[in-house]
Formats: sequence, structure tokens, C-alpha cells
Amino acid sequence: MHDLYQFVSGPLAWVAFILFVGGSLYRMIAMLVEVKKKEPFIFTYMSLKYSLRSIVHWMTPFATYNWRRKPVLTVVTFAFHICLFVSPIFLLAHVTLWDESWDISWWTLPDGVADVMTLIVIAGCVFFLLRRLTQPEVQFVTFPSDYFILAIVAAPFVTGFLAYHQWFGYPMVMVLHVLAGEVMLVAIPFTRLSHMIYSPFTRAYMGSEFGVIRKSKDF
Amino acid sequence: MKKGMTIIACAFFLLPFMLLSVHSQEDMESVDRSVFDNPQRPAAVFKHEAHNETAGIEECNECHHVYEDGKLVEDESSEDQRCADCHGPEDQGNQPSLVKAFHVNCKGCHKKQKKGPIMCGECHVR
Ligand code: HEC
Ligand code: HEC
Ligand code: HEC
Ligand code: HEC
Ligand code: HEM
Ligand code: HEM
Repeated sequence: MHDLYQFVSGPLAWVAFILFVGGSLYRMIAMLVEVKKKEPFIFTYMSLKYSLRSIVHWMTPFATYNWRRKPVLTVVTFAFHICLFVSPIFLLAHVTLWDESWDISWWTLPDGVADVMTLIVIAGCVFFLLRRLTQPEVQFVTFPSDYFILAIVAAPFVTGFLAYHQWFGYPMVMVLHVLAGEVMLVAIPFTRLSHMIYSPFTRAYMGSEFGVIRKSKDF
Repeated sequence: MKKGMTIIACAFFLLPFMLLSVHSQEDMESVDRSVFDNPQRPAAVFKHEAHNETAGIEECNECHHVYEDGKLVEDESSEDQRCADCHGPEDQGNQPSLVKAFHVNCKGCHKKQKKGPIMCGECHVR
């Protein structure tokens, strides 16, 4: 277990972070090149003002028509994404490891708070799963891969939670957690999770088109 | 029934004394974490004597070290001081913060020797 943990938290972590950062940059650049080739006129009306106006509105709960239309989904989506980013980035255990390897550290959450946020992420995944299973209009556009992606996202949080509480064989769960985290990082640029990379561009484009061309709002 | 109650009552009164006697035992079972303001983890398991015996550590200054002008002093040791007497809450140049001092000291050796705990929960056992 000693060697296995050293391997997954050492060389394999390097591979995962390089694929995550490199893959994300690649997807972003490839998309811009594609747009430039196929629809270069889009760049003529891109506007910083309308881009930011759209992004800010869509990042604020209930600030768009769509968010108001489905209040429960909106609350879950925001709680889910906020906890998804905040809990691992400001987790004491993760920052401790960054500090030991790189001498960098930043503010951390109390472990109890991080634990609750982890549960919120897991609950969010369960909500999305049930929604896909029960709502006909979502069922219609659901593929098996959607369930697989939900599992990839849930896995680091479930295993992180079990590891923190030292349930079910600590060292093995710890190794599984690191593996699950790495799979999720690598999946971001290469699956539908890439909506993280694309969404700011999509909103900037929609905001600009609605603001500049249609003289209306996209929210 | 009555006998049971008596035993429970006795145990109840004896409990503080039993806890006290465990506490005042010479042997260190875990590293004292009272120096941390708001400890987040259970105290790290560390049976001082037994650990150093099984690990085969001869020199006290493997851990209780003394530095002079940034150089490790060979035959001096600082077991009369606590790590916290020198290591503060933040890094100071080459001198790591207290948490990092513990982690680098303990984990560093365990990694090098491929023996002993290296994951959080193996030391901070719940
Ligand atoms: C593997 C590291 C390590 C080694 C080797 C080691 N110690 Fe310690 N010792 C510690 C730690 C950690 C503490 C707790 C320090 C603190 O709380 O600041 C400690 C505390 C002590 C204390 C404080 C009293 C107590 O029990 O709380 C004494 C005395 C002591 N050590 C003596 C020694 C002597 C003598 C040797 C050599 C034979 C030695 N130590 C070797 C790690 C070590
Ligand atoms: C007398 C003061 C003093 C005490 C007591 C002390 N340290 Fe240090 N320690 C230092 C100084 C000074 C440095 C910086 C060394 C340098 O400049 O490279 C240091 C560096 C370190 C380092 C990083 C360099 C290395 O040796 O790997 C670790 C880890 C460390 N201390 C752990 C501990 C632990 C654990 C204890 C308690 C068992 C302890 N120290 C007690 C003064 C002290
Ligand atoms: C100089 C090397 C070294 C340092 C420093 C060191 N250890 Fe160890 N430790 C070992 C070795 C070697 C073992 C494995 C012993 C065995 O089982 O053969 C070990 C084993 C352990 C174990 C497993 C149980 C046991 O006692 O055998 C614990 C817990 C532990 N260390 C805690 C600590 C803590 C806490 C510190 C820091 C205060 C520390 N160690 C510092 C070498 C070290
Ligand atoms: C080799 C043993 C060892 C391992 C592995 C280890 N620690 Fe520690 N840790 C210690 C010791 C010794 C202390 C200082 C005294 C104490 O807390 O009992 C400490 C202190 C701490 C503290 C400060 C006191 C507190 O409770 O807030 C935190 C936080 C901490 N460790 C977190 C972690 C995390 C997170 C991990 C995994 C990434 C980890 N530790 C892995 C030995 C270890
Ligand atoms: C390189 C990969 C990673 C490593 C080495 C790593 C390491 C750790 C460690 C050591 C813990 C603490 C376990 C304990 O307390 O004993 C932990 C907990 C946790 N990790 Fe990770 N992790 C990694 C990736 C991730 C990723 C990508 C995510 C999510 C996006 C994640 C989410 C979490 C969460 C949420 C917890 C805490 C759960 C709780 O406190 O309830 N980790 N991780
Ligand atoms: C800037 C970053 C991100 C933005 C703006 C964003 C935005 C969104 C939006 C708008 C939805 C749709 C919610 C709905 O159905 O109403 C969504 C769903 C989702 N997002 Fe994100 N997201 C981001 C990052 C991430 C990341 C990093 C992950 C995981 C690694 C993630 C995982 C998910 C999941 C699992 C869903 C639910 C999918 C489903 O319905 O099954 N998101 N996101």
C-alpha cells in the first residue's frame, strides 16, 4: 500500500494534472481556431460589455428567466457547483499536501464545513440522477454516458468522505480516492464535463449576439 | 438490580481518577496537539519509546535537533524544548511552520525508509 499510494499521489498525479491543464487549453484553442475558420464574422461583434453582462447574470441565482422558471433545479445547480469548487480547493488535507510539496498554502475551510459541503455535492449528484430517471423530458435526452459522467463526478466526493471518516478500510479507500480524483480531472477536458471550459465562451457569444445584433437580453 | 446500580455509581465516581491516572502515565501515546489553537484532526499516534525502538533510531537529534546559522549541529539535541518553542504558525525561511515541521519530519523519514504511516488517517486515527 505504501508504494501504491506513493505512485498514485506522485507520478500519476502529475499525469492527471498535466492532462487536465493541457487538455483544457487544447480544447479552448481548438474551439477558437474552429470558429475562426468557419464563422469568423462572430469576432466582429464580440463585446466585452455584453459578454460580462451575460456571464454575471447567469452566475447569479434567479437573475435569468431560465433560473426563475425552475427554482428547485436552480438552487441545486448552484449549491452543487459552489460546493464542487470550494470544498476541494479549500480543503485542509489538499492544502496540506500542496504546502508540503510546493511550499504554497492558502486559507482553508474547517474540516466539519468541508464535510457538509461534500455531502451537498453528493446529494446534488443524487438529485441529477433521480431527475434523469424520472422526468420524461430529461429522460428523452439521456444517454448511458450521462450516468457514467455523474458517477465520475460523485466518486471523488464519496471516497473522500469515506476516507475522512476512515470507514471501510482506510488505506484502500484513500488510494481509491486519489484515483477517482484523477479520473475526474482528466475527464473534464475530454467529456461533457468540458462545459466548464465552454460555458464562459457560450455565454459571451450569446450575450454579444443578443446585445449587439438583436439589441435584447439573453437572460 | 440494586447491585448493578451500586457498580454503576462506583464506576461513575471512579472514572475521573481512572482518566487522571491514564493521563499522567509516563509513556507518550500520541503527540500533544494542545499547541494548536483549533485542532482539526485527532492527535497523531506516536508511542515515543516503542516507536524509536522498533524504528531503530539511535540519535535523539534525528528529531530534537539544534541548528546554528542554518547548519545542523551534530552532537547537540533539544529534547528539553518543544517543537513549538522554535517552530511558529508560519514558515520562516528554511524553518517550516509547526504543522509542516511535524509532517516533514515524520512523513519524510517514513517515505525515505518505505516504512511507517504516510496517509493522514494512519497517524490521525479516529
Ligand atoms: C522520531 C522522532 C523522535 C526521536 C528520535 C526522539 N523524540 Fe523525543 N519527542 C518527539 C516528539 C515529536 C515529541 C513531542 C514534542 C512536542 O510536543 O513538541 C517528543 C518529546 C520528548 C520529550 C518531552 C517529554 C514528553 O514525554 O512529553 C522528551 C523528554 C524526549 N522527547 C526525549 C527524547 C530522547 C531522550 C530521545 C533520544 C533517546 C528522543 N526524545 C528521541 C520525537 C522524537
Ligand atoms: C531549538 C529550536 C528548534 C527546535 C526545538 C526544533 N527545531 Fe526544527 N528547525 C529549527 C531550525 C532553526 C530549522 C531551520 C533549519 C535551516 O535553516 O535549514 C528547523 C528545521 C526543521 C525542519 C526542516 C529541515 C529538516 O530537518 O528536515 C523540520 C522537518 C523540523 N525542523 C522539525 C522539527 C521537529 C519535529 C521538532 C520537534 C521534535 C523540531 N523541529 C524542534 C529549530 C528547531
Ligand atoms: C528517522 C526516521 C523516522 C522518523 C523521524 C519518524 N519515524 Fe515513525 N517510523 C519509522 C519507521 C522505520 C517505522 C516502521 C517501524 C516498523 O514497523 O518496522 C515507523 C513507524 C511508525 C508508526 C507505526 C507504529 C509504530 O510505532 O511502529 C507510527 C504511528 C509512526 N511511525 C509515527 C511517527 C510520527 C508521529 C513521527 C514524527 C513525530 C515519526 N513517526 C517519525 C521511522 C521514523
Ligand atoms: C506520520 C504521521 C502523520 C501523517 C501521515 C499526517 N500527520 Fe498531521 N500531524 C502529525 C503530527 C505528529 C502532528 C502534531 C501533533 C498532533 O496534531 O497530534 C500533526 C498535526 C496536524 C495538524 C495540526 C493539528 C490539528 O489537528 O489541526 C493538521 C491539521 C494535520 N496534522 C493534518 C494532516 C493531514 C491533512 C494529513 C494528510 C494529508 C496528515 N496530517 C498526515 C503527524 C502526521
Ligand atoms: C491528486 C489527487 C488527489 C489527492 C492526492 C487527494 C487527497 C486527499 C486526501 C489526503 C484527503 C483527506 C482524507 C483524510 O482526511 O484522511 C482528501 C479528501 C477529500 N478530497 Fe481529495 N485528493 C485528490 C483529488 C481530489 C479531487 C479531484 C476532488 C474533487 C474534485 C477531491 C475531493 C475531496 C473531498 C471532497 C475530500 C474530503 C471529504 C470530506 O472531508 O468529507 N479530491 N483528498
Ligand atoms: C465554470 C464552471 C461551470 C459552469 C458555469 C457550469 C454550469 C453548469 C450548468 C448551467 C449546468 C446545468 C444545470 C441544469 O440542468 O440546469 C451544469 C450541470 C452539471 N455540471 Fe456544471 N458547470 C461548471 C463546472 C462543472 C465542473 C468542473 C463539473 C464537474 C467536474 C461540473 C459538473 C456538472 C454536472 C455533473 C452537472 C449535471 C449534469 C446532469 O444533469 O446530469 N460542472 N453545469
